[in-house]
Amino acid sequence: MTATLSDFFVYSTRTFKALFQPPFRSKDTFQQLEFVTWQSLPVIVFCVSFAAMVTIMESSFHMKLMVQNDSLVPGFASLLILRELGVVVSSLLLTSRVGAGLAAEVGSMQVTEQVDALRMLGIDPIRFLVIPRLIACTVGGVILSLIANLVCLYCAMLISELKLGYSSGSFLTGMRAFVSYKDLVFAMIKGGCFGTVIPIVSCFFGLRCESGAEGVGKATTNSVVVASVAIIVMDFVLTYIFSHFY
Amino acid sequence: MASAQLALNDVSIGFGDGVLLSKVNLSVMPGECVVLVGPSGKGKTVLLKLFAGLLKPTLGQVQIEDKDLNQLAPHEQKQLLLKMGMLFQKNALFDSLSVGENIAFPLREKTKLSEAEIQERVVYFLEQVGIGHARLLYPDEISGGMQKRLGIARALALKPQIVLYDDPTAGLDPITSRLIVDLILRLRAENKSTVIAVTNDMVRAYQMADRIAMVVDGEIVITGNKAQTLAHQDPRVVQFVRGQLHGPLTESQ
Repeated sequence: MTATLSDFFVYSTRTFKALFQPPFRSKDTFQQLEFVTWQSLPVIVFCVSFAAMVTIMESSFHMKLMVQNDSLVPGFASLLILRELGVVVSSLLLTSRVGAGLAAEVGSMQVTEQVDALRMLGIDPIRFLVIPRLIACTVGGVILSLIANLVCLYCAMLISELKLGYSSGSFLTGMRAFVSYKDLVFAMIKGGCFGTVIPIVSCFFGLRCESGAEGVGKATTNSVVVASVAIIVMDFVLTYIFSHFY
Repeated sequence: MASAQLALNDVSIGFGDGVLLSKVNLSVMPGECVVLVGPSGKGKTVLLKLFAGLLKPTLGQVQIEDKDLNQLAPHEQKQLLLKMGMLFQKNALFDSLSVGENIAFPLREKTKLSEAEIQERVVYFLEQVGIGHARLLYPDEISGGMQKRLGIARALALKPQIVLYDDPTAGLDPITSRLIVDLILRLRAENKSTVIAVTNDMVRAYQMADRIAMVVDGEIVITGNKAQTLAHQDPRVVQFVRGQLHGPLTESQ
């Protein structure tokens, strides 16, 4: 465990140093950005829409139960969506889709000696494999958190109009009373931070992958578990930090 | 007397608590072909990876052209390693790139050749190894023998002075094995390169080797050329080259 943490620290330090060293592989980075953002968009939009609808319906049900009134639901739900739901759900989905894919891809390259072949050519696997994915996931995390939040809010507004009887205008009025642009900015910062964690963790497990199908499977599972836990812990830390700015 | 192009000086390496190779020595002269043979899992591939800088010895020196590989600065080490090409045991072909792109990749990364010159070289190397027709296919769309040929072409793309072949005939039928070894020998003669190869196929080892060395029990036993190997007195060598079931190699297992 200590050795793994120590290796992770060394690897992360090398990765962040490599981030500022040429050559910058813009073509690879854009390809990865397309994979991370565009190809992940349908599943993220689909899932966060339902999460938002469930949130607003549950909030309404419990508020009615406790205080016999759900007039604060648009505001509370919007706050919850912007600060937590949109970014955390989209990042966890990104972990399972992109993180698992990266760990399996890099892990397969490791066990089939493709990583060694890169080293033989004097190419640093961190610069070649990790950096384009790191940049793509960080930028993709910001973009996806923005889109996920907007979609969540739209779905929440839609369901509150259809199911709870609030007009769009009253939903937006309720929302404005509770949320500010800061919430959206902080959500995007969180998205970027979570996006950074995913490729770093996934490529770490991929590059340490042991041979065989079992090794690749283990690397994939470990990367998803560790990245998910890291996102949840980081969410707490960032929420605590941001609470000082409200 | 010319000095060795590649040398291991008292090299030891182990994994976990076990020692795989203990204070081994080996010198390879420029233009020579040394073939490493021996039972599986005894460190033949590890030896190649030590020369390739992919593994570091626990003790001892790995010398390439009289320079201690592991004492060099990273950029010097990279420059030195560019003089080497390696065919990996599992070929290590980039499966996201086409056959042609696999050869173009090192040329794009490590030379300043124009795209036209790169394509010219790609065609040349593919023709050299006889798979010119497969240029646009992907590695998983070609046969095992063609993958080996592609691996060889990629290993030679930067015209290395030293070529390491890790089990170049593994999993191939005898005719394809023969063709691959003929190809290795022809390219070696054309490029005047130094070759270290690993194989367990003694027929191919005799065909390729100037010298044969057996890796066994953590040491390297230099057995010499074909005639010297066949006449060697070490019971482990005798058992291995004759493929006998009973002897020191199977007793120790």
